[in-house]
Amino acid sequence: MAQVELKKVIKRFGSTEVVHGVDLFIEDDEFIVLVGPSGCGKSTVLRMIAGLESISSGEICINGQSVNEVAPKDRNVAMVFQNYALYPHMSVYENIAFSLKMAKESKSQIKDKVQQAAEILELTPYLQRKPAELSGGQRQRVAMGRAIVRQPAVFLFDEPLSNLDAQLRTQMRMELKKLHLKMKTTTIYVTHDQIEAMTLADRIVILKDGYIQQIGSPIELFERPVNRFVARFIGNPPTNIIPASLHKHDGRTSVRMGTLSLPVVSPPAGADSQQVLVGIRPDIIKTGDGLHSLPDEWQVQAEVIVSEVLGGQSLLEFSAGGTTMIAELEGRVQARPGEMITLGFDLSRLLFFDPRTEEAIY
Amino acid sequence: MRNQDRIKAVLTLSPSIILIGLFVYGFIGNTFWISLTDWGGVAALAVNPVKNYAGFTNYIDLFTGFLGGGFRQDLVNAVYYSVMLLAGAIGVGMFLAVMLDSKPKGEAFFRTVFLYPMSLSFIVSGTIWRWMLSPQGGVNILPEYAGLQPFTFRWLSSTGSILEFNWQNLLEIAIYLVSAVLLIIGLRLFAKTPRQSLLWLIPGIALGLFAWLGGEMLPKALFMEETHGFNKATFGIILATIWQYSGYTMALYLAGFTGISQDLRDAAMLDGATTASYYRHIALPMVKPITISAVIILSHISLKMFDLIFAMTGPDNGQTGHPALNMYLTTFRANDFARGAAIAIILFLIAGTFIIPYLVSSYRQRRGKP
Ligand SMILES: Nc1ncnc2c1ncn2[C@@H]1O[C@H](COP(=O)(O)OP(=O)(O)OP(=O)(O)O)[C@@H](O)[C@H]1O
Ligand SMILES: [Mg+2]
Repeated sequence: MAQVELKKVIKRFGSTEVVHGVDLFIEDDEFIVLVGPSGCGKSTVLRMIAGLESISSGEICINGQSVNEVAPKDRNVAMVFQNYALYPHMSVYENIAFSLKMAKESKSQIKDKVQQAAEILELTPYLQRKPAELSGGQRQRVAMGRAIVRQPAVFLFDEPLSNLDAQLRTQMRMELKKLHLKMKTTTIYVTHDQIEAMTLADRIVILKDGYIQQIGSPIELFERPVNRFVARFIGNPPTNIIPASLHKHDGRTSVRMGTLSLPVVSPPAGADSQQVLVGIRPDIIKTGDGLHSLPDEWQVQAEVIVSEVLGGQSLLEFSAGGTTMIAELEGRVQARPGEMITLGFDLSRLLFFDPRTEEAIY
Repeated sequence: MRNQDRIKAVLTLSPSIILIGLFVYGFIGNTFWISLTDWGGVAALAVNPVKNYAGFTNYIDLFTGFLGGGFRQDLVNAVYYSVMLLAGAIGVGMFLAVMLDSKPKGEAFFRTVFLYPMSLSFIVSGTIWRWMLSPQGGVNILPEYAGLQPFTFRWLSSTGSILEFNWQNLLEIAIYLVSAVLLIIGLRLFAKTPRQSLLWLIPGIALGLFAWLGGEMLPKALFMEETHGFNKATFGIILATIWQYSGYTMALYLAGFTGISQDLRDAAMLDGATTASYYRHIALPMVKPITISAVIILSHISLKMFDLIFAMTGPDNGQTGHPALNMYLTTFRANDFARGAAIAIILFLIAGTFIIPYLVSSYRQRRGKP
């Protein structure tokens, strides 16, 4: 139970600044996910909160108290590392018990707490093993056990699942979610896996090059990204970004991409023939049954470039009016290259960006 | 093809196998044979010296004979020397490594400085230290620079000794030692498997009681009292060896510490460990193989020590003697080849007790890995 606040936090390594004035307020019990491309400063932010990295300027507060000068061990935070950082010479039991031992708790108390944590994480049969004798998923759980056993005010996770295979990752993601619902502890979670971000987060913080791009709920980021970067970063496959121009005629606005012209439902502010970037999420493109709900003028003829069926969905790369896009279609759409196909766009969900600043325009 | 490979392998290896077999193991065997003879005395250097089989007389003489007192003191010296060198060089080396592990400014410079004494020959460092430890110079006059009285400790020529014991009671002392080892093992096992620990504790207690109550009745190793102890004059030599080797153990430990991932240190810090408890609970247990290697290397060095003592106090100094020096003097100055060989075999066996467990465990570890 803790609030965490970052005020204009800057981090410099030598003369290079890698985190540029981050402001962030994290509520009690909130699950915050930090995402961003590699090298954007996610781990650095996390390590500054943990106290493992000093901050060059600004302030970090936990529960309203500045912790700039507080040692890591006195911040009451627990961290799970990407490579788990288990103590290789200690058994699972000793690994989990270490922090309690350092806190000089009594032997019987330690035993109770470790057993409780082991129960939650289903580690009881492995307590006497060394980390080297465990599978990746079990090691991951030991790392979690080490974090939860001391009931810290804040959990910090640095890409805890990235060393696991896809299936195990999905399973552990669920476990993490359940754990958070059970323990209700403020959590800051770093990942570059956007599925983890979308499924786990109460709010997502998107970082790029040490700058916060946007903070918001997963749906907010998905539906109203503030700039081109966020629109491309969130969602898979990424948003199609297409240079276009807006045209106003008789009080109606249309957008022209190459030779393709489509009506705009909620036009952004701006002059006639303004140049914009249009963001088209792959999932707003429909075909087959999906076309029924769309007006005729929202539909176009497109030439198939290549299609891939992924179980219940299909990815289709197509060209319409001279521009190439990717669509994520419901159902199994099997189309041969060169074939013509009717596609509809849910134009109420178009995104517009300023081509110069790449900021969203609404 | 496989057969051909095998033949090639045998051909390539056989010269070294033959040479090592002959010049190492053959000569160890030959030395052992000589130690069982009476080769020595007036005609020892004759063209065909007389060598009669004499059984273990040489060994018995060395340990219990009237004239073996010098050797016995040398042996005691070697034991104290090994223990002090191990404690000193490992302690100082570990301390330096911990200091440098926190990456202070000029870390690379200090690393070189601390490692440098290693590169000196023992004759050179012995000469330097002989001068440094001279009664009215070097270390002893350091306090004068601060306006204090100079030290008067005679580093290399004191005659007193401490921690003395009577060689007569050798058997009793040995039983006490065995009992102590059994008790320690038993107590360490007690927390985990109380049942099994009794297997160690009961014999330990029994032996201890036996030595305590029946010690008087045990046969004496000698017919008269003979006390040996830690001669204070060896202190200077120990100091010089520690100076020369702590840089080496520092380098070993530093390599080990640097190999520990930063994440482990971070995790320990978050788990509430102080720097001291990080080293105590995480870093030192993780570099245990390094401690074992250091113990083996240093105990060998102390068992083989010859040149440093020769340079610092000369070969004939009874106070600072060492079995290796004794062996040399017995063999080549007294021409008592058989007894010299017996000393060599004793040193060889002591060295073996250090290295064989190590070889066995490292062999097992290698076999254990796929
Ligand atoms: N100790 C350091 N010294 C100098 N530069 C550093 C140091 N640690 C990190 N950096 C730099 O800071 C930037 C941010 O690093 P950080 O580890 O926070 O990235 P990240 O977002 O966690 O990336 P990844 O997803 O690859 O883990 C990088 O450009 C990196 O090169
Ligand atoms: Mg990182």
